[in-house]
Amino acid sequence: MDILLISEYILLAALAFYCIATIRISTRKTISMGIVGLLGLSAAVATILILIKYINGIAFCSDIALALVILGPIGTITFSKVIRGW
Amino acid sequence: MDDIFTLIKSAVLIISAILVVLTAIGLLRYKDDMDLILYARIHMLGVADMSCILALLFLNEPLLAITYLFLTPFASHSIANAYYYGEEKR
Repeated sequence: MDILLISEYILLAALAFYCIATIRISTRKTISMGIVGLLGLSAAVATILILIKYINGIAFCSDIALALVILGPIGTITFSKVIRGW
Repeated sequence: MDDIFTLIKSAVLIISAILVVLTAIGLLRYKDDMDLILYARIHMLGVADMSCILALLFLNEPLLAITYLFLTPFASHSIANAYYYGEEKR
């Protein structure tokens, strides 16, 4: 195993731990805390998908990650506007 | 023997992993009954966002990295704004 693959696996494990932390955050009592957790989760899942693309050679993971990166923050902004009140 | 670019790429990915783990520990560490904990968590989330952007840049995905770099500050600001004018005032 080369060092690049090992570091990719280390980053994958760290992102898995971070996903658990953000899901735990998103179950707290206020709605804003849920949005914070899901914003972090979208970034982590996009990075995980890119890592899966490089480790396993699945090319369409990049397209899913691009959709997630665009729609995650836009959904967050929209939902925040709803919470604030128009 | 790996070339120098592979070594730099590996080092950046490992640094990103360390920063992501530190962010996860920071997110879970503080209790909910602290005052203004949401702003602190938004601030902590910025570290993980930037390390994800760094990892995406070094994984040859500049489109994703730049898109996320431009969209994340707007999202963080809108969450804080919604909490300030929406939930905190209630």
